[in-house]
Amino acid sequence: MSNFFQLIRNEHMKLYSQKATWIMAAILVVLVIGMGGLFKIDEAITGGEVPTGDNWKEELQQQNEQLMSQEGQAQEVAYPGYTNVEENQYRIENDLPPTEYNAWDFVRDNRGFVALVSLFTIIVAAGITANEFRWGTIKLLLIRPISRTKILLAKYVSVVIYALTMLVLLYVLSFIIGVIFFGMDSFSQTYVYNQAGEIKDAGIFAFTVSQYMLSFVELIMMATFAFMIASVFRNTSLAIGLAIFLMMAGSSIVLFFMNKEWAKYILFANTDLTQFMEGTPMVADLTLGFSITVIAVYYLVFLLLSWFFFTKSDVAGS
Amino acid sequence: MTEPVMKLKNVKKTIGKKEIIKGLNFDIYGGEVFGFLGPNGAGKTTTIRMMVGLMNMSAGDVLIKGRSINKEFKEAIRHVGGIVENPEMYPFMSGWKNLVHYARMMPDITEERIIQVVRLVGLENRIKEKVGKYSLGMRQRLGIAQALLHNPSVLILDEPTNGLDPSGIREIRAYIRELAEEEGVAVIVSSHILSEMEMMCDRIGIIKNGELIAIQSVTDALQQTDEKEVSIEAAPVDEAKAALQELTGRNVQLNGNVLTFTIEKEMIPKVVTDLVHKQIQIYGVHANRSTLEDKFLDLIGEGVIE
Repeated sequence: MSNFFQLIRNEHMKLYSQKATWIMAAILVVLVIGMGGLFKIDEAITGGEVPTGDNWKEELQQQNEQLMSQEGQAQEVAYPGYTNVEENQYRIENDLPPTEYNAWDFVRDNRGFVALVSLFTIIVAAGITANEFRWGTIKLLLIRPISRTKILLAKYVSVVIYALTMLVLLYVLSFIIGVIFFGMDSFSQTYVYNQAGEIKDAGIFAFTVSQYMLSFVELIMMATFAFMIASVFRNTSLAIGLAIFLMMAGSSIVLFFMNKEWAKYILFANTDLTQFMEGTPMVADLTLGFSITVIAVYYLVFLLLSWFFFTKSDVAGS
Repeated sequence: MTEPVMKLKNVKKTIGKKEIIKGLNFDIYGGEVFGFLGPNGAGKTTTIRMMVGLMNMSAGDVLIKGRSINKEFKEAIRHVGGIVENPEMYPFMSGWKNLVHYARMMPDITEERIIQVVRLVGLENRIKEKVGKYSLGMRQRLGIAQALLHNPSVLILDEPTNGLDPSGIREIRAYIRELAEEEGVAVIVSSHILSEMEMMCDRIGIIKNGELIAIQSVTDALQQTDEKEVSIEAAPVDEAKAALQELTGRNVQLNGNVLTFTIEKEMIPKVVTDLVHKQIQIYGVHANRSTLEDKFLDLIGEGVIE
């Protein structure tokens, strides 16, 4: 077991000795700061004024009445951040006062950057085995008293650690930048959302963390896919290209085959687990349990293929 | 001799329908430098890759200290150090980090051992630099350092003098000899350059089209060679030619100022002395191709890859 830890150390040393790794982290940092600046300047994004006074219930009620009377028309309202009648009603009934745009909202909005973290993780996952072949170092790596399975596992675990690191970086950085630009309300802030027609509320910290964790599932699936292609074909570019293509085209593929019986077995119909939390599932009869099963099956297939090709094939001339 | 350190038993490799390696059998013993010679494409690298488990063999087995590389990979490979083809390292890390990387993959290698190995290959001044800045010769040294970290019983070096300057070649050669003679390491060296092999190997195995066509002990071969082709640069050249023909009783060829003829090795000093007595100026004496080389070339033929 101790030499497994050493292998992980090795993979980290190699990963963080490469400039590209640091450039990717820097891109993420710059984009999050830039996004903060943009939101700060443009009030339209952050929702403008919010009824936070003592009589917020009446104000929100007024806005609701206004919204309902104007249905179907362009609406000019006092509080552009609170235009959902049902959610407003829920707040009034459950005594959950609205809050101004703050660090938590910024963290929640920045979940979009998980796509960027996915991209970076795909690049790392594709390179971690295929680059050894490209550099020729695979020959020196595999003539050690360590099984190929263990070497491959150390590489895979390093990819997962990298993905987690970047995700935590994104979350923490978003929070810090959010606090600097927009201030912070409190950890007990409540978020109100619509899940498949039903209004629910949750603590903002728990909500954002679970959202990020659920996006992590999709991220890891794409990274594992890239890892598999890289182990099978030993080609970094092919693995990156295919994985990014599928990441981008994933939902289109599902839409295209939407009314087919087997559409729900497509990986991409299932990877976005947040659809069970907020919003409505892409394919009608999906359940959380079913999606988790589909994901698990794909995941095992990816890992088995990686393992089979990495451990069984010859390391032939370059 | 004692137990072989490495034993190849009917090793075969078939790719598609083509049999690339056609059943190799040979033993390598501790303390010897074994040369693996053959033209490009003969199967040297494929054989080496099978020896270290990078390629699966279609049939047969390789035993390292009695352990099968197929069935007991970890126990077998821990006695092996090597470079397969070019000494490829991580270019974005320093030489030191590269060594630390490999050291972590083997049990009980201390930092002192890494320092020792670095000193051994003479890289101590450049070890903190990135490998990307190294010359091929420096990478070759780093490759050897990496192969020696764990004190292997078998050292496999594929084209070890590739890219080294003459003094580097001499150093590596001396070092390989020392490892074999003093530490009892079995060294396997592959090359397609015969003269190089002759200088550092004890035995040479010749591979051609995937078959081992001969194993030749270098010392035996050299003792058998009683005749050598000798070139002498001398003046005045005509007088020298006449004298030589008289002395050797053989045909002497003249090419510019250089006289070429074949003679028994022990006779060379006598011929030179006689020429000197005849007041002939000698500018150079050179023993050309040995019959060993002729023999190998005959065996290898034109180096046609079938």
